[in-house]
Amino acid sequence: MSKCKALCLLMILTIFLSGCWSKRELNELAIVAALGIDKVDNEFDITVQVVIPGEISSKQPTSGRSPVITYHSKGATVFEAIRKMTTLTARKLYFSHLQIVVLGDELAREGIGKPLDLISRDHEFRNDFDVIVAHDATAEEVLNVLTPIEKVPATKLLNSLRTSEKSWGTTQSINIDEIINTLNSKENSVVMSAIEIQGDKNVGMEQTNVKRSKSPVLLKYAGLAVFKEGKLIGLLTEDESRSLGFLRDKIDSTIEILACPKGGTLSTEITHSKTKIKGKFENGAPKIKVFIDVNQNVGEVECNIDLTKEKSIHYINKKTEEIIKKRIDKTISTIQQNYRVDVFGFGEALHRTNPKEWKKIKKDWLTIFQELPVKVEVHVNTQGIGTMENSLVNKTEGE
Amino acid sequence: MSISKIADTSQNNNQLYSSLSQNLKLIKNTLGNSNDLVIREITIGKAEQYTLAIIYIDGLSDKISISNSVIDKLMLDIEDHQDTEIEKIIRYLRDSCLTAGDVNDIFHFSALYNSILKGDTVILIDESSTGIVTSTQGAKDRAIMEPATESVIRGPRESFTETLRTNTALLRRKIKSPNLWIKTRIVGEVTKTEVAVMYINDIANEKIVAEVLARLDRINIDGILEGGYIEDFIQDNKFTIFPTIYNSERPDVIAGELLDGKIAILVDGSPFVLVVPALFTSFLQSAEDYYQHWMISSLVRILRFFGIALALVAPSLYVAITTFHQEMLPTPMLISIASQREGVPFPAVVEALIMEIAFEVLREAGLRMPRTIGPAVSIVGTLVIGQAAVEAGVVSAVMVIIVALTAICSFLFPAYGLSNTVRALRFPLMIISAVVGLFGLMFGLMIILLHLCSLRTFGVPYLSPFGPLILKDQKDALVLFPRRALLTRPRLVSQKNTVRGHKYFNTKKRNQKNV
Repeated sequence: MSKCKALCLLMILTIFLSGCWSKRELNELAIVAALGIDKVDNEFDITVQVVIPGEISSKQPTSGRSPVITYHSKGATVFEAIRKMTTLTARKLYFSHLQIVVLGDELAREGIGKPLDLISRDHEFRNDFDVIVAHDATAEEVLNVLTPIEKVPATKLLNSLRTSEKSWGTTQSINIDEIINTLNSKENSVVMSAIEIQGDKNVGMEQTNVKRSKSPVLLKYAGLAVFKEGKLIGLLTEDESRSLGFLRDKIDSTIEILACPKGGTLSTEITHSKTKIKGKFENGAPKIKVFIDVNQNVGEVECNIDLTKEKSIHYINKKTEEIIKKRIDKTISTIQQNYRVDVFGFGEALHRTNPKEWKKIKKDWLTIFQELPVKVEVHVNTQGIGTMENSLVNKTEGE
Repeated sequence: MSISKIADTSQNNNQLYSSLSQNLKLIKNTLGNSNDLVIREITIGKAEQYTLAIIYIDGLSDKISISNSVIDKLMLDIEDHQDTEIEKIIRYLRDSCLTAGDVNDIFHFSALYNSILKGDTVILIDESSTGIVTSTQGAKDRAIMEPATESVIRGPRESFTETLRTNTALLRRKIKSPNLWIKTRIVGEVTKTEVAVMYINDIANEKIVAEVLARLDRINIDGILEGGYIEDFIQDNKFTIFPTIYNSERPDVIAGELLDGKIAILVDGSPFVLVVPALFTSFLQSAEDYYQHWMISSLVRILRFFGIALALVAPSLYVAITTFHQEMLPTPMLISIASQREGVPFPAVVEALIMEIAFEVLREAGLRMPRTIGPAVSIVGTLVIGQAAVEAGVVSAVMVIIVALTAICSFLFPAYGLSNTVRALRFPLMIISAVVGLFGLMFGLMIILLHLCSLRTFGVPYLSPFGPLILKDQKDALVLFPRRALLTRPRLVSQKNTVRGHKYFNTKKRNQKNV
């Protein structure tokens, strides 16, 4: 009986003695929404964007104070810099709700491997935030810009990244896990969306930036940044970014503009796109075939074309196929020749089809990649022409 | 034990004296000359040769029936009777003269006291040591009214009253079967409360009936004032906070339980009828479930299970998540809650405890206070708790929402007993969540679940049909199947007679069959 009592006591004690040690009240936390990493003179320059909850909540009238505050500090390692920050902040930084990590342009060029270690190692960081690169700016400058609508700039960065990925296709959201995985393999390369500041960088951190209907300083996604072995090597144009989106099967919806047979233009809205990459070895020589299956609707007609005829739809399908294929072919050759990194995942496709043959060419993959024959096949299907049959242009000309 | 042991003085066990005056003197003495004791001495017969006394307690007996069937008969109809032998007179009175429904002889003082204190009338005759009891019970009782605690939209609107006879009659009116049996026990040495055990003979499990009667017989206490006294004595596990005996004031609910093979215990003086064995699911089922469409009932039952979970864990979950696991909240929600907690001086758990206790205080005050000052309490309650506390920054608005949610959910139970349990268990869960977060909450819930699994009520596992899992009985547990699928009784309760009905055919089909 006394043994039983002692056991019970021990069990209760284990709860109450160990209890509360990681307790944090909500009003003791500084919620970090974004983290920026720069490199200045061989030191890491860390910027954190901390949310001020009282300014965000819609209940209270805004006092005119900034909804976020940024702190920064320098250190030989990222960890040191973050810990040093406690001398600046009123509360303990809380990273679990980190939404986005911005890497400075200079840091990206020097290599992103080192600073990302802490972020993926520390347990307080979750792995669901996105990573982007600042183009022609430091991460600090990007995080200092205040944004309208979304009071927390980090949320704006994340939301517009996701929205443009979904409906335009020039950005791709990439989280830390994907980056770490790609950094580990020599054959693949990582791409990240790049953000740029439009306007005067110093005005952006003023509250006036969100007080006017036309903000003087805006944050804009500029396209995809290509990395080679963890180092930034270049920025893709909008067209190239979109083609890359098609190849990596990341396109949900985008717009294509094509010329009409009798002059004028017509835009279509792509509603669905599915990409299949097939690798093949012919006598040990690798080959890639890409099949892209696209569904689209006619979105805008600014020319004289009779959409009620099947012939016209056929024309639209053919023309769209041509445009997409041409652009993709061009992008592939640019990347093969200028960047010389496999950002498409062709290596993986080959690996999957024939692991044995892949092992043979794995070592020289990046040289083989430059000359790799790629055949792109696009199949377009126009499903709808919208709520109107023929264009207004048609009618006025007919009268 | 009850009747034979009640003798508190040796006189009570004595036989009646043959002298009337001696008898009357002793009765008056024993009752302490209480002025509600009525003794009417009359003489009867043409020659006024017999003196007799009519004894009853004012207020317990029906004066009209005493005057009609006792006094009238004795004083007017007996005139021409010429017998001289006392035994013959008594037999004449008993067999031919008194017109009351129930007439018996008594020989002892103890029986005499029992009778008059029940409201019967005793007639004692001089020179005889035999008394006659006529049943004239007629104490004032409450009318049958709508149930105050279990209301339904559709269904019978009658409820039990404080009178045992009325209550047994209400059940008999629902179940007109000779197999509806009543076994009575007198419990309480001083109060001598009548306790009736009702069951349907060929459905209820005899072993459980015998066990109930045996447990009732073992009760040895001065008084039973409500079913709660009995409940506490006869339940299997004295230390459980969960109710293992069901109670209801609706005759239709009790009739339904009897048809399930359960056993009802009616206590004189209480409109709440106990039911054993009570399963956990009984407390989450309302009478109305069976009166409305089964799909609606099923949805409502699922809602109730959800409600009990919410009422139990909502504040603990809030405390655990906001003090330990902030990463579990969506970011906008975290920011919103954090902004409301700005300036709140207490940790989340203290905040939760303040609000929950304040709510319990209000609830208890609302129950106990005189009805006329009810509005005052609710105004103070809503203003202080709802608004002022938030505006003053003592508690956050989210906490008020959580408490309100918990409160509403705890009113979701058809049976009040379980609601109290959940209210009480909320507090230890809150504290353990504040100490070790979600681990603590899960630990607490595990303990509760294990405890529930270990409970038995009159030998039947409390959590059946979930633990042990009885697939056949799932038809009337978490969801309710259509009535035509409810053809068997709960297996563990009744055991022998489990067939409730047979397959229902539409008229068209049956006609085809007959042809």
